[in-house]
Amino acid sequence: MTKRYKSFIRYFFFIVGLLFSTIAFSQNEFIIKFVHTANGKRIIQNDSIYYTPGGEPYTISKLKYYVSNLDMNTARKSCFLIDAFGIDSFTVRPQIGLYAFLSFLLGVDSARNVSGAQDGALDPLNDMFWTWNSGYVMFKLEGNSDSSLADLHRIEHHIGGFAGTNYTMRRINLSLPKKMHANTGRHVITVEMNLDNYWRSVNNISISETPVIVTAGALAKRSADNFPQMFTIKSVE
Amino acid sequence: MKTRITISLFAFVALAVFLIGAAKNDGYGSFKPKPLKLEIPKGWPKPTNNIFVNNKLTEEGFQLGRKLFYDGNLSSDGTTSCGSCHQQFAAFSTYDHDLSHGVNNTFTDRNAPALFNLAWSPLYHWDGGVNNIEVQPLNPITAKNEMGETLPNVLSKLKADTSYSRLFKAAFGDAAITSQRLLKALAQFTGSLVSSNSRYDKWKKGELKFNPIEEAGYDIYKTNCAVCHAEPLFTDYGFRNNGLSLNRFADIGRQKITGLASDSLKFKVPSLRNVQYSFPYMHDGRFNSLEAVLNYYISGIDHDQPMLDPILKKPIVLTEKQKQQLKYFLYTLTDTAFTKSKRFAPGQ
Repeated sequence: MTKRYKSFIRYFFFIVGLLFSTIAFSQNEFIIKFVHTANGKRIIQNDSIYYTPGGEPYTISKLKYYVSNLDMNTARKSCFLIDAFGIDSFTVRPQIGLYAFLSFLLGVDSARNVSGAQDGALDPLNDMFWTWNSGYVMFKLEGNSDSSLADLHRIEHHIGGFAGTNYTMRRINLSLPKKMHANTGRHVITVEMNLDNYWRSVNNISISETPVIVTAGALAKRSADNFPQMFTIKSVE
Repeated sequence: MKTRITISLFAFVALAVFLIGAAKNDGYGSFKPKPLKLEIPKGWPKPTNNIFVNNKLTEEGFQLGRKLFYDGNLSSDGTTSCGSCHQQFAAFSTYDHDLSHGVNNTFTDRNAPALFNLAWSPLYHWDGGVNNIEVQPLNPITAKNEMGETLPNVLSKLKADTSYSRLFKAAFGDAAITSQRLLKALAQFTGSLVSSNSRYDKWKKGELKFNPIEEAGYDIYKTNCAVCHAEPLFTDYGFRNNGLSLNRFADIGRQKITGLASDSLKFKVPSLRNVQYSFPYMHDGRFNSLEAVLNYYISGIDHDQPMLDPILKKPIVLTEKQKQQLKYFLYTLTDTAFTKSKRFAPGQ
C-alpha cells in the first residue's frame, strides 16, 4: 500500500513537473506595443490640437486599426485590434529562433472579410465592420478640424476595402535594430505610429478636401498607400 | 512495479476525467446537439458556398435561430422582429407592401425580399452588398428604418431573458450569449428555409401532369425568361439592369457596392419561386401585380437605357393569351408546403 502510494506520488510530481516546464518554456514571448505620435508628441484624445504637414489643425477622438498575420510562424493567423486610447499592445509566442524583422499586415486579410460572424478582435461589436457592404474597416481615424467642411467639422476616415483592386491591407516590414532571440524570456518591441506620415508621405491627404472617407475605393487606397510610412521600431528590450 | 504504475496512471486519468466531467455539469445536462443535414433537392446544384461548413447545422441551433427570428426584442422598441417583414405566408416577404415598416413608423427604402433557398445564394441583398449569410442580420437590426437597435443592446436583452441561456447552451455547449452565436443561430434558421415542393417540382418528378395552359406557359417561360430566372432555382443569382428608371431614393443598386459605373442600376435577379405571394415586385415594389411586370417587359422597357442588360435589347412579344398562360405557369411555382410549414412558423 505504502509502495503503491509512493509510486503514485512520484508519478504525480512527474506530471506536475512536466506541466510546469511546459509553462516555463512557453514564457518566451514578444510583447508588441504601439505608441502613437503626431508632431513629435504622444497623442492625447480630444483635448490636444495637432497640425498636418499641410498646416491643417485637427484633434483626434478615435484611432483604431487591425494588426494581423504576423510573419512569426505561431502568429501567422493572428489578428489584433489596436486602440490608441485603449488596448495598444498584444503578446505573441514566436517559435524559438532569431528574429531580424517584425512583419505584419495592417488590416484584415480577404478570407476573414468573407467568413461570416466572427469573435474576438473581429467581433462586429468592436464597431469595425461594415454591414451594408460586408467587410472590415482596417483603419479608423476620427476627430475634428476647422479645415473640415463636413457636419460638425468632423473627420471620419474609415479605411477599408478588400476585394479586387480596392484592397487596403498593407504589409508593414520593419527591421529590428538588433536580432532578437525568441528563446530567452520576454521581449518588448515598441512600434511607433506617426500620424504625420498618414497625412503626407506617399500621398498627400488634405482634411479640407477629404474630411470623410467611409467607402472602399480610390480615396481609401490613397490613404492605405501611406500606411507603410507610418510605422517605425521605437525600441526593443 | 509496472502494474502499480499502470494502476496509478489509470487512477490519475480517471480522476482527471471525473473532475473535467464535474466541471462541465452545470445543471443544463450534457452537450449533445442533434446534427442536421441541409437536404439538397433532387436535380439541384450543390450550394456554391456551403454555409454550414463553419456553422454546424443542428436541431438546437435551428430552434434557437427560429426563436430569435421571431423575437421582437431584436428591435429597439420590441415591436419588430425579422418575421415582421419576412412573413411566412408571403414566402418570407412582406405581403402586399411595396416597402416595409420599421420602428417609429418608418418606411424601408427597398422591398423586403422573399427568403428561401438562401444557401444557394452567393451574395445577399438586392445589391449583393452582403457576402455571407451570417452577417446579413446586422443590417436590419441596426438600420434606423428597420429594427433600429444596436448589437450591444440586443445582446444585453437576450442575456436578461433567462429562457435564452438554456437554448444557447443547448446549441453551442455553454450558456454564453455572443454576437457570433446570435448570428450563426439566425443563419441556421434562415439557411434552412428551402422551398422545393411546388406543383412545378412535383411535375418535374413525374408525380403529376401539367394542364395544357401550364404546359404552354412553361414553353413561354423557357423562351423568354429562363436565361435570367434559370431553373431549378429560377434565378441565376446575377445582377442585371432590367431598364427600370432611377427611383425617388436615387437607388443605383450594385454600383453603390462595387463603385463601378458598369454596375449602374443593376439589382439581383430574384427567384420566380413563390412569385404569386411575393408581390409587389422589383427592388422598390413599384409593380403591384404580375400583369404589371409582364406589361413592363413587353412594352415598358426604355431601350435607350445605356446600361440595359443585352438580353433585354431583344423585345419580348407576347399575346394576351400567352401572358395568361405564362401566369398560370408561374403559379405552379407556389409552394404552400413551404409557406404553411409548422417547422418554419413561430414556436408555441
